[in-house]
Amino acid sequence: MDELCSVVSLEWRTSKVFELTVERNGVEFTPGDSFAIFAGDGNESRPYSVASGTDEPTLRFLIQQLPDGIVSNYLSELRPGDKIRLSEPFGWFHPGKNTSDEPLVFIATGTGIAPFLSYLRAYPDKGPVVCLYGVRYFEDALDLDFLKSSCDVRLVISREDGHIYHKGRVTDLLPSLDLLAGTHFYLCGLDAMIDDVSAWLEGTGGIDFSHIHREVFFHAPS
Amino acid sequence: MLHLDREDWVKTSDGDSRGYIQPQRLDELWFHTGTNCNLRCPFCLEGSKPGDNRISFLTLEDVRPFITEALELGVKNFSFTGGEPFVNPDMVRILDLALTHRSCMVLSNATEPLMNRINEVLPLINKPNDLSFRVSLDFPNPEKHDEGRGKGNFRRSLNTLGRLHSFGFHVSIARLIANGEDVEAVNREYVPFFESAGLPADLRIVAFPDFFPPDSLPEIPQITENCMTSYLNAEQRDEMMCNFSKMIVKKNDRAGVYACTLVDDDHDYDLADTLKESMEVRVMLKHHRCYSCFAYGASCSEVS
Ligand SMILES: Cc1cc2nc3c(=O)[nH]c(=O)nc-3n(C[C@H](O)[C@H](O)[C@H](O)COP(=O)(O)OP(=O)(O)OC[C@H]3O[C@@H](n4cnc5c(N)ncnc54)[C@H](O)[C@@H]3O)c2cc1C
Ligand code: SF4
Repeated sequence: MDELCSVVSLEWRTSKVFELTVERNGVEFTPGDSFAIFAGDGNESRPYSVASGTDEPTLRFLIQQLPDGIVSNYLSELRPGDKIRLSEPFGWFHPGKNTSDEPLVFIATGTGIAPFLSYLRAYPDKGPVVCLYGVRYFEDALDLDFLKSSCDVRLVISREDGHIYHKGRVTDLLPSLDLLAGTHFYLCGLDAMIDDVSAWLEGTGGIDFSHIHREVFFHAPS
Repeated sequence: MLHLDREDWVKTSDGDSRGYIQPQRLDELWFHTGTNCNLRCPFCLEGSKPGDNRISFLTLEDVRPFITEALELGVKNFSFTGGEPFVNPDMVRILDLALTHRSCMVLSNATEPLMNRINEVLPLINKPNDLSFRVSLDFPNPEKHDEGRGKGNFRRSLNTLGRLHSFGFHVSIARLIANGEDVEAVNREYVPFFESAGLPADLRIVAFPDFFPPDSLPEIPQITENCMTSYLNAEQRDEMMCNFSKMIVKKNDRAGVYACTLVDDDHDYDLADTLKESMEVRVMLKHHRCYSCFAYGASCSEVS
């Protein structure tokens, strides 16, 4: 059943991304699950992937505010104590599911890092993970210190010079990956990145498509 | 069910006896897997969207007794609709059970939920009965399809269709009929897309009229008992879905038997708790979607 949950806090993490923390009310979820969050009148809902770990007392979401976006703008104005409607958790994109010791590569853009943060928080002791993370500006990189401490994160910045990180697109780093047999690839974020990376992995990389898992959060405006 | 003697169930608003179908057999049993969908198409005839729970997820345990009962009633195949069925966490296990007994058909948007579960779906090819997928490609025009279903989704669904076909699953597509269109000409416009995805040029296309979103009340003529014999012959009556199919729908924690796939927004069509009881109930053609079946012979069925 749906839950009415109280907002615990709303914190701006970058100029366009805020972290929304809400009461958990005991609900169980798997890293990679999303909750549909409903805007005011209950008619509009959008899925948001939970970014917190399974042992945390609250649910945390990383939400990008889109120009004219109905739900992201509604949520961006919430205050502690406000009530919002959340669906039960659901999902089809579960990093690390159905794998035992196979290597994992996570590839994200922007808030597409959320399911991977949830996974790394929930399973701090699981095998090594490589994470390619694409952002426009350095300030857009979410939870970078945590990522550095929990996986082999390789940040890619597309629109800013002067950092030690690669400037360009995540696809630039694909040839540098060790394509070990059995590796599972989890791709999350902008559709164009996901399509380009999938095409490279299946084509040049020779990866079986059943090892390529995809979650499109955003469709870039034409 | 209390409504079965109610005046407005059995009579039209003009006081005439309503047209009805007395079900003859159970060839096909549908399961509504839930209205939670990854997409939120504005025209969705189920009103599905992310997190929607007008109709909740069916579980494997909800489904099991209906499969047993349907087999006793001689069912020929099982079909599944949503929402997007692969959003339902039990979907693959449900298919695994159903395919042990009969062939199955799933209506899917063939986007991320299905593709991300392809590792679980692939072994179903080895079950003793066939699994087929009917995928929505609304128009033979990617831009027009994507206006409703989200950017890039025509290409994604077409790509998934091609893959499912290459693995040996049966596939067909569902599309929308526009008023006054030349059905065959529109069907031909799909051929280049099919060929680009490695699909046969004569892939089956099932075209649907506009059924209107749930809870809408479009003005439609009422169907009287007299209409059923004046406008339809015995064969046409026999082909109406409520004559040979039922759908299992779960609302408020109870799975009930509905008259067909198209009327799940009206409690009056929640006929019974069991299939056997539901087969005794006359289905009154009161719903606006009944008129589509009556007038255009619309059918979602895989068996007719
Ligand atoms: C399974 C799933 C999980 C998701 N999880 C998250 C999450 O954890 N965090 C998150 O931030 N989002 C997430 N999303 C996206 C989220 O569901 C919404 O789609 C998003 O917040 C936009 O909703 P909205 O109502 O604000 O915008 P809408 O009112 O739906 O409008 C979106 C408009 O913005 C345009 N647009 C799309 N992308 C961009 C862009 N990059 N820049 C400018 N305009 C754009 C679109 O063309 C569209 O016109 C997820 C999506 C899915 C499918
Ligand atoms: S994909 Fe199908 S079920 Fe989902 S919203 Fe669109 S039309 Fe409705």
